[in-house]
Amino acid sequence: MSLLNPSNGWRSSSSRLLALYSSLFVAWSCILMGVLYYEVSAYLGDLSRHSLMQRQHLFQHFEGTQLDEALATSMTFDMKGIDAYGLFDGQQRPLSGPLQQIPAGLPLDGRIHALANCIESDDPTLPRGSCDAVATHTQDGRWLVLVRDNGSLLGVTRIILQALFWAISLTILPGVAGWHLLRRRPLRRIRGIQASAEAIVAGDLTHRLPLSNRRDELDMLAAIVNAMLERIEKLMNEVKGVCDNIAHDLRTPLTRLRAQLYRIKQQADEDSPLAWQLDAVISETDTLMARFRGLLRISELEDRQRRAGFRVFAPLPLLQELHDVYLPLAEEGQMTLLLQVPAALPPITGDRALLFEALANLLSNALKFTPPGGEVILRGIDQAGSTRIDVLDSGPGIPEAERAAVFQRFYRVEGGQQQGSFGLGLSIVAAIINLHGFRLEVGSSERGGARLTLECRPQPPL
Amino acid sequence: MPRILTIEDDAVTAREIVAELSSHGLEVDWVDNGREGLTRAVSGDYDLITLDRMLPELDGLAIVTTLRTLGVSTPILMISALSDVDERVRGLRAGGDDYLTKPFASDEMAARVEVLLRRNNAAKAAQTALRVADLELNLISREASRADQPLSLLPTEYKLLEFLMRNTGQILSRMMIFEEVWGYHFDPGTNLIDVHIGRLRKKIDPPGLTPLIRTVRGSGYVIAEPV
Repeated sequence: MSLLNPSNGWRSSSSRLLALYSSLFVAWSCILMGVLYYEVSAYLGDLSRHSLMQRQHLFQHFEGTQLDEALATSMTFDMKGIDAYGLFDGQQRPLSGPLQQIPAGLPLDGRIHALANCIESDDPTLPRGSCDAVATHTQDGRWLVLVRDNGSLLGVTRIILQALFWAISLTILPGVAGWHLLRRRPLRRIRGIQASAEAIVAGDLTHRLPLSNRRDELDMLAAIVNAMLERIEKLMNEVKGVCDNIAHDLRTPLTRLRAQLYRIKQQADEDSPLAWQLDAVISETDTLMARFRGLLRISELEDRQRRAGFRVFAPLPLLQELHDVYLPLAEEGQMTLLLQVPAALPPITGDRALLFEALANLLSNALKFTPPGGEVILRGIDQAGSTRIDVLDSGPGIPEAERAAVFQRFYRVEGGQQQGSFGLGLSIVAAIINLHGFRLEVGSSERGGARLTLECRPQPPL
Repeated sequence: MPRILTIEDDAVTAREIVAELSSHGLEVDWVDNGREGLTRAVSGDYDLITLDRMLPELDGLAIVTTLRTLGVSTPILMISALSDVDERVRGLRAGGDDYLTKPFASDEMAARVEVLLRRNNAAKAAQTALRVADLELNLISREASRADQPLSLLPTEYKLLEFLMRNTGQILSRMMIFEEVWGYHFDPGTNLIDVHIGRLRKKIDPPGLTPLIRTVRGSGYVIAEPV
């Protein structure tokens, strides 16, 4: 069983949080800058109209040459390219000032108008583009046209946009860097928790999730899980204790039952019907005792206390021995038992006798479920420096849906097969494999039947 | 008559052991605690001891260790409720000669006692050949013959025949055969041993000759002089 792998980046909760934070920040900055822009440009627009209006009122008090002089003087103080004026006669012909013609579309009504395109000229000292303009009828019958560029507001816009750009860049860049730093630490801790959880899943219920001194959410979660594990472990131990007690209590009565039945049989006449019945009963008792011993054996193997007995041994003699032991059984059932091994196989670390038992069980099952004329192959493979043992048969195979279930105690293949059950055999196999930390995989063989693959290498935690 | 000492704290189990062994013509003394058991065992008047692994006062394992340290070599059959895989190894390493787990069949227990008694028989240990009727097994040259016709046996078949013939007349369970001939201690299923015995039978009991290997229903196999 493998736990969900934590994603490397985008899906982690800190990434999501930072992404949300960044986008909110950008949106908020945009709104702020927009409002600022709107307010500032409205204010500046007002200011420019006011200044135009003031000039208009100022020059209304002058007449004749006084006006010409005042205008010429004011021009020296005007900002080039921003303010300009033109004095025109009654026929709108230019008299003086930088403006050589009245801007097109400017009504001669003495009121301020905003023009999109005020002066068509190449003179860089004249305002171009949008402007506010006003044409005033002077007391001596001339037209005074005053123009003020309001395009300088574009400059403000540019400044604000630049500020916005920098603000967003300075938010996004440190945000990405911060995201990198922030997501790594929780991920490291999650990986620590995952490693512990895998040890627990693998059967070590005494293991607990690691806690840090920070008392944050992860610690709270780990503490909750640890409390849960505590309870589960206690329950498991209680159940196991009860099972062990039942098992222990049953041993003696079973021994007595078998002994007494046997004694009654010996006292009965050998050919009487009673003796036959007793034989049947004794044989049932033997089956019962065998099953019982099998169950006890599995529970011992699950206690995982036998690793001390592990040795390094060569797999080839083991496979050869298995082949020798089971060949007569195969031939009796008109089956072929093939041993396919390379010249050398990497050594296995484990309990040789237990692995012999496990493989014997697998072979025994393969032979049981393969019809006469079929073929069973015992194969050793050097797989990337460790030994892999395959048991292949040409029997009916194990349906995919049942592959996980066959290792449960007393599992029977569905479909009313007469050949009997796997009984405890495969559960013992599973217990032995688990004890070694090896991996057993059920698949389909190229012969059409089942393939059981034993990888004789302790599986690294996922 | 061989004398057996049974050290067993459960009275009913002990009664069954005593009854079964007595029916095999053995004289059995029963002790229900470890301390007295050890004292009697040290006296050395016994040909074999059946020893419960878990006893009040003095543990079965401690008794074996003490006996072996004192140089008492009486064969010991350990009977244990502890079926722990390691427990067996521990018991045998401490000096036990055989190990039987509860629940057990009393006939198998008796068979194991008989096998141990024979193994310890000095006269038999020195034999160079085994003989059952006209079947002969030469232990030196490792050759077998039936009615003066040499038989060609595979190594496993030889070991199987030797075990049967060393215990002529003694019923041997499939489990005992598997343990002795192949050296493994698990239930290989009835079929496996039957098939191996079947092969051996084809060689030593050819048609026309009186069969020597007999199947005992529900118990196992025995090789014996034809009746």
